[in-house]
Order: sequence, then C-alpha cells, then structure tokens
Amino acid sequence: MKYNRILLLTVMLLSLAGLTGGCGFKDIDKRFFVVAIGIDPPAEGAKGYKVTLRLAVPSPKVEPGAAKSRVETIQATTIAEGVRLLKSHVDKELDFGHCKLLLFGEELVKKDFRAPMQWFARRRDIQSVAYVAIGKPDANSILNVEPSSERLPGNAIFLTFGHGGTESSYTLYTYLFDLLRRAGERGLDPILPIMRVENNGYVVTRLGLLDKSKLVTVLNPQETEMFNQIRYEFKKSTVAASFGGQNMVMSVDGISSKTKIVRTNEGYVLRLRLKIKGIFEEAPIGVYDQDWKKLEQTFNAQVEQEAERLLKKVQQAGVDPFGFGLKFRATHAGSEKTWKAWESIYPRLKFDVKANVIIEGSGIIR
Amino acid sequence: MLKRIESLFAESRDLTMHQLQNDEMSIEIAYIESLCDVSKVSDFILVPFTKQQQPFDEIVKVNPVYKPLDDPAKWTDTLLLGFVLIQVKGSIYKLDAARVIRNENPQTMVETVIMGPQIALSEDVIDSINIIRSRYPSPELATEERTVGTTSKTRVLLLYDKRSVDSNVLSMVRKRLERIMIPMITATGQLSRALGDRYTLFPTMIVTERPDRVCNSLQEGKIVLLLQGSMFAIIMPVTFYDFLSAVDDQFDSYWMTRTLLVLRYIAVLLTITLPALYVAIVSYNPELFRVQLTYSIAGSRAGVPYPSFIEVIIMLLMIEALVEASVRLPKYIGSTATTVGGLILGQAAQQAGLVSSIMIIVTSVVAISNFVIPINNMSMAIRFMKYPLIIMAIFFGIAGVTIGLFIYFVYLADLRSFGKPYFRIFSKTPSQSGDIGQVGQG
Repeated sequence: MKYNRILLLTVMLLSLAGLTGGCGFKDIDKRFFVVAIGIDPPAEGAKGYKVTLRLAVPSPKVEPGAAKSRVETIQATTIAEGVRLLKSHVDKELDFGHCKLLLFGEELVKKDFRAPMQWFARRRDIQSVAYVAIGKPDANSILNVEPSSERLPGNAIFLTFGHGGTESSYTLYTYLFDLLRRAGERGLDPILPIMRVENNGYVVTRLGLLDKSKLVTVLNPQETEMFNQIRYEFKKSTVAASFGGQNMVMSVDGISSKTKIVRTNEGYVLRLRLKIKGIFEEAPIGVYDQDWKKLEQTFNAQVEQEAERLLKKVQQAGVDPFGFGLKFRATHAGSEKTWKAWESIYPRLKFDVKANVIIEGSGIIR
Repeated sequence: MLKRIESLFAESRDLTMHQLQNDEMSIEIAYIESLCDVSKVSDFILVPFTKQQQPFDEIVKVNPVYKPLDDPAKWTDTLLLGFVLIQVKGSIYKLDAARVIRNENPQTMVETVIMGPQIALSEDVIDSINIIRSRYPSPELATEERTVGTTSKTRVLLLYDKRSVDSNVLSMVRKRLERIMIPMITATGQLSRALGDRYTLFPTMIVTERPDRVCNSLQEGKIVLLLQGSMFAIIMPVTFYDFLSAVDDQFDSYWMTRTLLVLRYIAVLLTITLPALYVAIVSYNPELFRVQLTYSIAGSRAGVPYPSFIEVIIMLLMIEALVEASVRLPKYIGSTATTVGGLILGQAAQQAGLVSSIMIIVTSVVAISNFVIPINNMSMAIRFMKYPLIIMAIFFGIAGVTIGLFIYFVYLADLRSFGKPYFRIFSKTPSQSGDIGQVGQG
C-alpha cells in the first residue's frame, strides 16, 4: 500500500518532469552573453532602431587584453524584432542575463527614449541593476571599443560604473530600475551619464538631464561633481576656491546637504544647507599659519555661488533631477492640486543656499 | 539427561557429554566445548567432584554460581550460550563457563578525536558494560537483558539512567525490541534498521563506538543498546544536532568549536546542494554567478561535449566509486586508490575535456564536506541526499532545487525519533529529571 503510493508519486513527478523539462535547459557554453546593448536611431530615412549588441566570447584564460568580444549590429523596425533577427546571425542562444550596460545613442535620446526603455523593462532576463547611459556621439561607436586593459569582455564597463572599480565624483551611474522610477514619478526627473570614447577607453564625466521623454540639457564636469555632492553627498570629491589669485583645493571628508522648501513673503524658497568637512589637498606653503576662518568664508562664498548656479541652470531647463517636486508632494496634501501648485511654483522658485565649509587640517604635519 | 540432549542437537562434534562417577554419586555434565572455557569446567566441576572434600550435591546447592534449571525446554538455548548443564541427583543445574573471543583493548577507529578518550567499546557486552560502568558509576544505571534474532539469539543489553530516562521512550523501545522477528542480527546497524530506521532518509538513532558519548547520552536520559559481538552501541532518542556535534565540542576551545559547528552545517548544506546547484545555474540561470565566473565557466565548459548533468553524474559516480573502493580495499593499498583516483583521474578528466575545471572543484567540495559529519551513519545518509536534488535540478532548475530542499526540510520537521521531535538544529532532546527511579523494570 505504502509502496504503491510512493511509486505513484514518483511516476507523477517524472511525468511532470517530462512535460515541463527541456523548456529552459541550455548549457552555459551554448549561450552568448550580451555584455551591452546600444540603441541608435536608424540611418537616414529608415524607420525603427539600429540595435548593437556586444557579445562576450568567453575564454578559460584570463589575461590583460585577452578579452574577446563580438559586436553585432542590425536595423529593424522594433528592438524585439532586431534581437530576434540577430539570433539568426549567431551560433548560440543570446542571453541578456549579464547585460550590464544599456546605451542610448545621443541622437535617439534627444528625440524620445521611452520605447527602448519599455523594452528593457519588460524583457525578463535584463536585470534591473543594469547601468543605463547615453552614448556620445552614438551607442554603436562606444560598443565597438575594446579597451586594451580588459581582462574579461565588458569588464571595463562594469568597473567604470558602480563602486567596484574607480570611484570618480564625475561619474554618476543610473540603474535601470532608477531610470524607470524617475521616468514615471512626478517631481523627479531622469538623469543619465554621458559616455564617450577617448584613447580606446571610456570617459564618463558629464551628466545628461532628461525630462520624461528626452534629453534636455547636459551638465559640465564641475556641475556634475556639484550635483553629486548635493544629491548623493558623495565624499570622494573636492571643493576648490581661489584665494587672492591662488587656487586652493580641499578633499572632502564628509558632506551633509539638507534641503527644505519653505514659504516666505516673497513666495516659495528652497533652502539648501551644505556642510562640507575636509582637508587641504592643494594649498600654498604657510597655509597653516593663516586665518582659517577667512579661508572658510571664501570657500563658503564660492561654493554657495557654484551651487546656486547649478540649481538655477536646472530650474531654467525645466527639469527636476533633485526631486524637489517629490519632496514638495511628500510634505503637502496628496491631491492633484498640490502637483498643479508645484508646477507653477517651480519655475519661480527662489534659492537660498548656505554653505558651511570646515577645514579640518592642512594635509601635512607641520 | 544426556540422551535427551543428544536427540535435541544435530550432529555436532563439539557437544561434549560425560558421565562422572566418584565414591558417593554419579553426575552427568553436558556442554559445547567450543563455546566453553575448559579450565572453568575443570575448576568448578571436575576438581571438586573428584577431590571429594565436600559432597558435590552440597556444593551445588550452596555455591550461587550453580543455578537450578528446571525447564527442559530451555536446555538447548542454555547450552548454546556457553553454559554447562549438570545433573546431580535428579536435579539440573547450569554453570556459566562461556568463553568469548573478542578484540582486546579496542581503540576508536570510526569516530576518532585528538584529545579525548581513545578506547572504544568492546565486542563483548560484559566488557562494554565494565567500560561504561567505570565511567558512569551511578546506582541509577539500569541494565536489562534481552535476546534478539530468532536464530542468532544475540544478547542485547538495554542501558538507561533510571532517574532521567523518558518512560514513554523506554516503553516504546521495549515494545519494538520484542517485535523484532528477523533470524540473524550480527551488527548494530541491523538492529537499528529493525527498530525502525529502515526507510527513513535520516537515521533516527546514533551508532557509536565511543564510551564517552554513551555516558553523556545516559546522563541526558537516553537509552543505549549494546549488542553482543559488536563494538558499537545504539543511542536513542536523538536530534539532528546530536549527529553534527562531535565529542570534542565539549572540551576543545569554546569559540572554535561553535565555529566548527556552524561549519559542519554549512558543509552539510553544500554537500547536498552543490551538484544540483551546479546543474541548475550552469544550465538554467547563469546570471546567478558573477560575470567573471560566468565567463570562466563558459570558457572551461566550451570543450565539454555533454550537457552539465551528464558531467555531474560522471564525476559523482567516480567519486562515489573512489570512496567505496577506499573502504573495501585492504588498508595498505587504500592510499594508492585515493592517489590514483583523486589526483590523476581528476586532472585527466579535465584535460581530456570530459568535465570542466569548476566541476572538479564541485566534486571535491562535495566529497570533503561529506566527511566533516562526525557520525558515520549520518554521513552515509547524507551521501544519498544529493541525488534526488540533482534530478530536480535537471528538470526544473533553481526552482526544482528550492522545492527539493523544501521537501527535505518538511520531511525533517515531520520526522520523530522514538516519539521525540528530531529536527532540532541547536539543542538536544531535553532530559527528564524526575524523581528517583521513575520507571519500573520492564
């Protein structure tokens, strides 16, 4: 009796296995791993997209410069169709499970990036932690670069973004899930880093600010760093000021940035309080004996000026990458009217920036 | 008497029967020579009988080593256990003259420790009890004797601490012992199977050779079974934790032994899941690896002609054969097998492109982790657990492995060891600290 039941169970399980088995089984060496996808607008006059895939060619040996990859480009009316067509160009199954970089061409993102973004979001095997960036001048040319230092295909990309490799205050990164959130949220607009090629390597120093559908403006490296400091309190950065014709640079040990939207007699004001602590990295000899209070005040004034300029630039572009609108919505009644009100407040919003730079040391032992 | 005994036995040359005569009386003795110590027979029977300092019938009555035996139905059994039957003036007495061949000064071989008692239980129950009693000098230690096996009539001793034993467990063990109806019992494993461990995936009783483990268990209120002819004892009821705790854990450095305990659990988890996870990740969800590892596995697998599960099955077959061979081989050749198998086969299989280099690592981790488990019968049980999971992984991938593990956990949670919950990860079955002598003699 008991044996019969066990036998029955086994038969059932095995038949279930027969039914479902084989639908996902594909060995790792029969898969082509897509490292990066680039989406560009098509050549003149055509419709659809130009899809570029960078495929990793794995090898058991790991040596610098031994990374091999293969780049496939195709033009199709939709991305899905393009990828399906590309499958017939390669000998193994395409796998997007390790696709860590999603690139929009600059021309595409100037028009509309929503449709490709939707494809990225809906595709099951593209991970939400993939990095999204803008390729300049186009995505295709970036994917065609093979940095000579690469030990594994695509590794330079993974190390450029994220905190795994280099951590630069000019390199911001956006995950796919963050882009999706920003693209859908009212009061918070998308940002995407801009990638370009230099000397057979990647350079990411500028930040593109987008509205809900396209690229609006680009921040230069200094503004990008400031953005990183205000929005993300990024510590591995610097602040600079010139003091009587001499440049002084401080490396930052700690930042705290607080924003508050307050109502005053002259309308709404955004209060930004920046507290930056750091030690000198570049300073003239004898800085130890100078009056640090004065130096701090100079720093304060110049940081305030820089921050305000950034905030104004962003405001004039009509985007809100800082998420002030979201903050306003979060601290006010959750109705349609609040959002309407903010839409009229933001273009006229005034900024009140106060910086408090604290010099903690001269950087050397006296 | 002698004629009757002769008719009861099949023709056996070692059955010795004598009729002795002195001035006063004549007696008849019968014994099986090969089972008895002949010097005992002469010391207790022949010498006093022939010296005639005292009438022999009085000696037999006064000296307690001679026990009266009235029931003729028990004659054969008594003779077969090494007793001498004596007929004096119409009444029958038995005398224990058994000679047991056993291993002398046994050392622990299966469950070794570095610092700790090195002596193991003996193959003779009386010696074993001597070893245990001298380590557990408590008047509460009760021993009950039974025989199991319809043909083998093996002596089984039931040991427990009267004060702390759980009476429900005790009565359950007694009942199960009575129900055993198999002809031969020669090893403790057979007994534990007969007691209910036959089809369970995990053993519910510990088989051990260590007297210190036995004594600790007695103190915790567990029941110990000793079997004549086997140097292993059975301990019950036990929890999963008992199988993973070595005796060293009680006397080595506290923090390291806790760490080792965690390590053993990790090892168990690894040895069960790793081959299945390899199949599942390599063939279904390669995105679970870090990208660097993905490429190196993909690269090293590129030359492998078979799908991942064939690769896993080849390697596991090889390693199981290797382990089995090193058990079966004589000790002197044993190390050759491991060298040939471990070093040469592994390296060659990878170079020949039959398996990937990661698979070699997986196989060795599986084998080594398996040996971390201190109790051998659990180690054997765990060795099997990976195969059902591999089958699940082949057909259902990661989801299959998860479901398989879930089934194992549910099964473990459902499992009882003599009515006591089994799946305790960090504690033992609580001991019953009742009044003096809370259970009666069964």
